[in-house]
Amino acid sequence: MIQPQTHLNVADNSGARELMCIRIIGASNRRYAHIGDVIVAVIKEAVPNMPLEKSEIVRAVIVRTCKELKRDSGMIIRYDDNAAVVIDQEGNPKGTRIFGAIPRELRQFNFTKIVSLAPEVL
Amino acid sequence: MRLEKCWFCSSTVYPGHGIQFVRNDAKIFRFCRSKCHKNFKMKRNPRKVKWTKAYRRVHGKDMTQDATFEFERKRNRPERYDRHVAEETLKAIKKIDKVRVDREARHHEKRMKGKKAQVQKEAAKELEQSIHMVKAPAVLQKEPSLTLPKVYQKQTEDRMVE
Repeated sequence: MIQPQTHLNVADNSGARELMCIRIIGASNRRYAHIGDVIVAVIKEAVPNMPLEKSEIVRAVIVRTCKELKRDSGMIIRYDDNAAVVIDQEGNPKGTRIFGAIPRELRQFNFTKIVSLAPEVL
Repeated sequence: MRLEKCWFCSSTVYPGHGIQFVRNDAKIFRFCRSKCHKNFKMKRNPRKVKWTKAYRRVHGKDMTQDATFEFERKRNRPERYDRHVAEETLKAIKKIDKVRVDREARHHEKRMKGKKAQVQKEAAKELEQSIHMVKAPAVLQKEPSLTLPKVYQKQTEDRMVE
């Protein structure tokens, strides 16, 4: 349940460390974003000497939430933090590596590149 | 479909039940119900929480090593489906369950064995020592016929007479 002003960790090596959600892409007035949703975010903290800098506005896809993700099989998964992967307009990740576990749902949302780079797909 | 074990209480988690928590190092903790999940969030150690299987095993209340546990070991190699094998496995599961339950009952019996005798001994001692709580000793001496619990009547009467 990510909403504007939510801080998210960054799960890739694109150069950003922490993002703050500004807007949820989808419908207007959409309140919360879940795993697989694209958000517009501003970079709050960045790794020095990388292409992405602080106060830059980027798009990101949410890959982990503390709010439980429910599957049709009845399985409920909860992660330890809120995390996102910085993407470009097409949906390809800007970084080259992904850190942490990624849920399988991203494949259905057509983020296949992220899923293939992930060290662990749950 | 796989039947998992709850990380906290070690009971089986059937599909559609419980919550899985994925830590940032990708370790998965499965819980059978919110009771276990909440205890985990409180950072309780299952080995110290009395109602969990972990506690019972550590404190010797349940048996720890047995051949029947080998059958439940997790195997990661997928088996090709064979109807005959599946049939035999289902029969075997029932039998193994029965064997395991019998062995656990025996373990329990062995654990509780000296209890009855000990309880009776303690009761006798207490009767001897604390009979003044029931009847005043002066009264008993005056009228030894006053009833004392039947089992030990003879013994105590002799002592009173002395």
